[in-house]
Amino acid sequence: MADASLRHSTASAQDQNTILTNNESGCSKAQEQPLRHPLGGITPKIHDVTEKFTKACNALEVGQLVKDDYFTLFESIGAIEIMDPKMDSGFLQPGETLEDDYDCLTPLLPEELIGIMDQLLCYEMAWHTGYPLSQTLFTSLYIDKLLWPETRILERAQFYRGDIPDDKRPGPLLQVLRAYCLALIKGCDFVIAKIAARDYFEEEDFCTQTYNRVLFVSIPMDVFLRELDSAMEVVEDESLEINTALRSAIHSRLEFRKDFLRAQDLDLPLDLISYSWPTILENLGTLKNTHQLGQVVPGAFSTKMQRRLASTVPPRPIVELEFKDALEKLQQLCTDCKEATRFISLPQDPLEYQSFLWFFASRSPAPLAYSRSYLATLLFHPDVLQTSVSLPLSDVKTLVFPASPVLDPVNWTFSPPRNPMLPKPPRLQLAMLVDEFVDRCGQPYLDLWVALGQNRCRLRRMLTHVITGWDMLQADASSVDADISQAAEELGITDQVLEFSLSTWVYHKKLWMIEKIILLGFEQDIYLPDEFSGMYLFLSLIATRRKELLKRVEAHYLRRGEQLLKSRNLRDAQEVDDAGPYLDSLLAEAEGVASLSLALARFYIILLYLHMLPLPKRPFAKEELRYELRMKPFLSLQPPEAPPFEDFKAHTQPYGDFAAPDPAFQLDLNDMASDLWTEVDRHLKAAKEAFADVKKMGPKAVKAEGVATAWNKDVQSALASCIALGVAVAGVKGAVSKTNAASSESLGIKVVIPESGAGKRYAEGWIVAKILKME
Amino acid sequence: MEDQKAPETKEEPDLQYVQYEPAKEEQFLPAIRQLISKDLSEPYSIYVYRYFLYQWGYLCYMTLDANNSLIGVIVCKLEPHRSGTFRGYIAMLAVQETYRGRGIATNLVRLAIEAMASRSADEIVLETEVTNTASLKLYERLGFLRSKRLHRYYLNGNAAFRLILYLKEGTALKRPDPAGQGHGHVHEHGHEHGYGMGIESGMTS
Ligand SMILES: CC(C)(COP(=O)(O)OP(=O)(O)OC[C@H]1O[C@@H](n2cnc3c(N)ncnc32)[C@H](O)[C@@H]1OP(=O)(O)O)[C@@H](O)C(=O)NCCC(=O)NCCS
Repeated sequence: MADASLRHSTASAQDQNTILTNNESGCSKAQEQPLRHPLGGITPKIHDVTEKFTKACNALEVGQLVKDDYFTLFESIGAIEIMDPKMDSGFLQPGETLEDDYDCLTPLLPEELIGIMDQLLCYEMAWHTGYPLSQTLFTSLYIDKLLWPETRILERAQFYRGDIPDDKRPGPLLQVLRAYCLALIKGCDFVIAKIAARDYFEEEDFCTQTYNRVLFVSIPMDVFLRELDSAMEVVEDESLEINTALRSAIHSRLEFRKDFLRAQDLDLPLDLISYSWPTILENLGTLKNTHQLGQVVPGAFSTKMQRRLASTVPPRPIVELEFKDALEKLQQLCTDCKEATRFISLPQDPLEYQSFLWFFASRSPAPLAYSRSYLATLLFHPDVLQTSVSLPLSDVKTLVFPASPVLDPVNWTFSPPRNPMLPKPPRLQLAMLVDEFVDRCGQPYLDLWVALGQNRCRLRRMLTHVITGWDMLQADASSVDADISQAAEELGITDQVLEFSLSTWVYHKKLWMIEKIILLGFEQDIYLPDEFSGMYLFLSLIATRRKELLKRVEAHYLRRGEQLLKSRNLRDAQEVDDAGPYLDSLLAEAEGVASLSLALARFYIILLYLHMLPLPKRPFAKEELRYELRMKPFLSLQPPEAPPFEDFKAHTQPYGDFAAPDPAFQLDLNDMASDLWTEVDRHLKAAKEAFADVKKMGPKAVKAEGVATAWNKDVQSALASCIALGVAVAGVKGAVSKTNAASSESLGIKVVIPESGAGKRYAEGWIVAKILKME
Repeated sequence: MEDQKAPETKEEPDLQYVQYEPAKEEQFLPAIRQLISKDLSEPYSIYVYRYFLYQWGYLCYMTLDANNSLIGVIVCKLEPHRSGTFRGYIAMLAVQETYRGRGIATNLVRLAIEAMASRSADEIVLETEVTNTASLKLYERLGFLRSKRLHRYYLNGNAAFRLILYLKEGTALKRPDPAGQGHGHVHEHGHEHGYGMGIESGMTS
C-alpha cells in the first residue's frame, strides 16, 4: 500500500504473519522506546559563517529561491519563522516570562485535587481521540515535574528534584496527586506500546510522540499499584481532616485509576481480561456525580510547557474536552474494549472472526485507536488463534469443499515416491496443491484482517488495495484449480469436485469486498447525488455476479448430496447438508444487496429525469473521465468488473440526456404499468423478501453468531431501508399521477438526501432519499 | 509567459485577474500571506509560499481591484506524481470575505485549470474540509469528484475530502514508470497527509 508508508506502522507485520501460518513463535511486544543519547565525548567546533552568509544573500533577488532537489514541500511546511509569535514557540511577548510561576509544592485543597484529577482525565481522553500529548496531558506542570529531568528511580520522580526543606515537603494531598499522576503516566506508556505494536497511522489515528520523555517504561506495574494503594490509605486515614464526600470522591478516583491501569496492563492473562472493563464501567457514574465537588486550578496547566517539549513546532492551543464529553469517550473506550474481549470466546471459525471484525469496525461511534489496537492484539495473540486447521483453509472448506475428496485426510498420508522423477500419486498431489494454496493465501488473508482493524476512511481505501492482492490470488488459484482438476481426473472423481473451486472461493471474497467498498463510499458521502444511480447500479452488478457464483456452488452441493446419498455415505451427505444454511444465507444476502441497489438505482434515475437532484454543470469534466475516476480501483481486476462506459451510460441514462429526455420518458412516467415503475417495485419486493429470508435464517447460519445483536440490527436496517424506499417511491408516484406531470417543477414535492453519520439514515450505506410535500 | 487573459467577469468590471510572477513578490506576497492565513489556525512559513510561487508562479492567479489591492488568490503546483500521473494540485485558494459569493473563486479556479490543462496535466487534485460547503460546491460545480475521505486530516481534527478532476483519458490506468528515475531523488515515503496544515506534502519522484 504505497500511499500509506510513512505514517504507517508496520512493526508488527511479521508477528501477524507467523501467527496466521500457525507458527509457534509468539508476538514480541515493542515496548522499548529508543532513548536519545547526546553524542558522547565530541567537543563541537564552532565556525562563524554569518558574514559569508550575509554576503551571499545580498547577491540574491527577493523571492529568488535557493533550494536543491532534496528540499521538499514537506520540509517547507515543517519550517518555522523565528520571532513570529504564531510559529516560534520560544518567542516571548513583551513582559512575558519563559516559564510559569506556578509552584507545584503549594498545598492543595481537596476540591482542587479533584479538579486537577478530573482535568487530567479530560486531557487523557483528548489524547485518546488523536491529539498529541503536547496539547493535552503534557501541558500539566505536575506531570512535567515527575518526568523531567528524567529519573529511573520512581522515588525520585517527585514534584521537585533533590533535597528540599522539610516544611516544603508535599503534604498528603500532593502525595495522592503524585500517585494518581504516576499511574496515569504508566497507563499512557501501556497505551502507546499497545497501539504502536499494531497497524495504525501516526497523527491520523493517534500520536505516540512523547518528546523524549520516558513514561516509566522499565518500571513494572505493581510499583504503581502500590503507590495507589498507599495513596488510598492516606485518604482513608481518619487523621486527614476532610469532609466525607470529598474523601470518597478522591478515593473513587484512585480506585478508578487502579482499575484502569490494570485493564491496560500489557501482560494481563487472557482469562482475566474480560473482568477488567465491567468494573470500570460500573464506577464511572461515581466520577460523574462527584465531578462538581472539584475546583479547577487553571495554573496547573500551561501551553508554555510546549516550549520544553519541542522547539520546532509552533505553539498550539491546549485541546479542551469537557468533563462530560471526556467521560463519554472513556465510557465508549471501555465499552468497546469490553466488547473486544468477547473475541477470545468466539466459535473457532475464521468466518465468525471476520463477522466480528466487520461489526466491530462498524460500531457507532467509531472505536478509538486504542480499542482497535486492543482487539487487534487479541486477534493476533498466539493463544487465541490456536486452531488445528489453518484459518484460510477452514474458510475455503466451508464454502467450496464440504465433504470433498480434495480435503480427505487420507491425501496427507501418502509419501512422495523415492525417485523424484516418478509422478506423485494424485492424492498426494491434491494434498500438496492445497497446502501450497493455503500458504499463498496467508498474506492476502492477513491484509483483509488488518484493513478491518483500521479507521473507517482507511478501511475503504485499504480495501481497494486489498482487492488487487486478492485479484492476483485469484489468478494463482485458477492455476491450482487446473492442477486439482487434473488430479481429480486421474482419480476418476471429477464429478465430486466443484469446478474452479479455489478461484470461486477467492472470487467470492473479492466481490464481497467490492460491495463493501461501494457501500462505504455511500456511507462516507463520496458520491454526489447525481452519481447515486450509477454507483448503486454498479453495486447491483457486483452483487449479482456474486449471486451467480453462489448459484454454481449451490448446484454442486445438490449434485454432491445426491451422489453421497446414492452411495449411502450418510456421514458425508450430512456434512454437505450442514454446509447448506451458510450458502443459503449468503445467497439471500447477495440477492438482497443486488435487488435493493437496483431498485435504488432505478429510483434515482427517475429523480434525475424529473430534475429533482442537483446536477452540476461541470464545464471542465467529461462524463467518460468521471466514470474512469470512479472505476479506478476496479479497472485492473480480472475478470473485468467495470462495464464499458457506453454500457454504463446506456443503463444510467435510458432516455438520453437528462436535460432533454426522449419523449418516451413522459409516456412511461405517466403509465404506472410501465417498466419505469414496475421494475422499481419488483426489485424492491425481491430485496424485502431476500432480507427477510436472511433474517429468518439468523446469525448462526451466516456465521455471525458472536455478534448476533449487531448482525440483527444490520439486517433490520436493510429491511427498514427497503420500506423507506417504498414510501419514497409512492411519494413520487402519487405526485406524478396527481399532477399529470406536465413538468417536474409542478410536482409539488422535493427531495431530501439524509445526512450521513447523523442517525438520519437507517443504514449508512443505503441512502434513501426522502420525498417531502412542498408547502 | 503572458497568460493574463481575463475571464468573463461582466458584472465586475473593476476587477482584473493577473498571473503572479516572482518579480512581484514584494508587491503581492505580504497580501497573499495575509489573505491565506486568515482561514488557517496556523500560518504557513514564507518557505511554503516561495516553494509554490518560485516554481509554479505561472499557476498562481490573483484578483485585484482598481487600486491593485488583492481580492483573491489561487496557488497551485504541477509535477509528476508518484502514481505515474502528471498531477496538478491546488494548494491554496481564498477570496476576501466581503467579495465572496460573486464567482471570484470560480474564476480563479477556472484560470488555474486552464493553465494546467494547457500544460498537459492529467488530473487536478486538492483537499478541502468536509464541512467547507462553499469550497465543495464551487469545485463540484466545475466537475471535481470526491475520491477519498481523509480521517483527521487537519490539525483541528477535522476530516477532509480529496477532490479530483481528470483532464485526460487513461489517467486512472497510469502507473509509476519504474525506469523513470530521471527527475532527481526518489522518496520512499509518500505522505497521504501533510502536516495537518491542509496541504498535501506528497512527495513526487
Ligand atoms: C471558498 C472560497 C474561496 C469561495 O470564494 P467565492 O469567491 O465566494 O466563491 P464563488 O462565489 O466562486 O463560489 C462559491 C459558491 O459556494 C456558495 N456558497 C458560499 N458560501 C456558502 C455556504 N456557506 N453554504 C453553501 N454554499 C455557499 C456560493 O453561493 C457559490 O455557489 P453558487 O454560485 O452556486 O451560489 C471563499 O469562501 C474563501 O476564501 N474561503 C476561505 C478559504 C477556503 O476555504 N479556501 C478553500 C480551501 S481549498
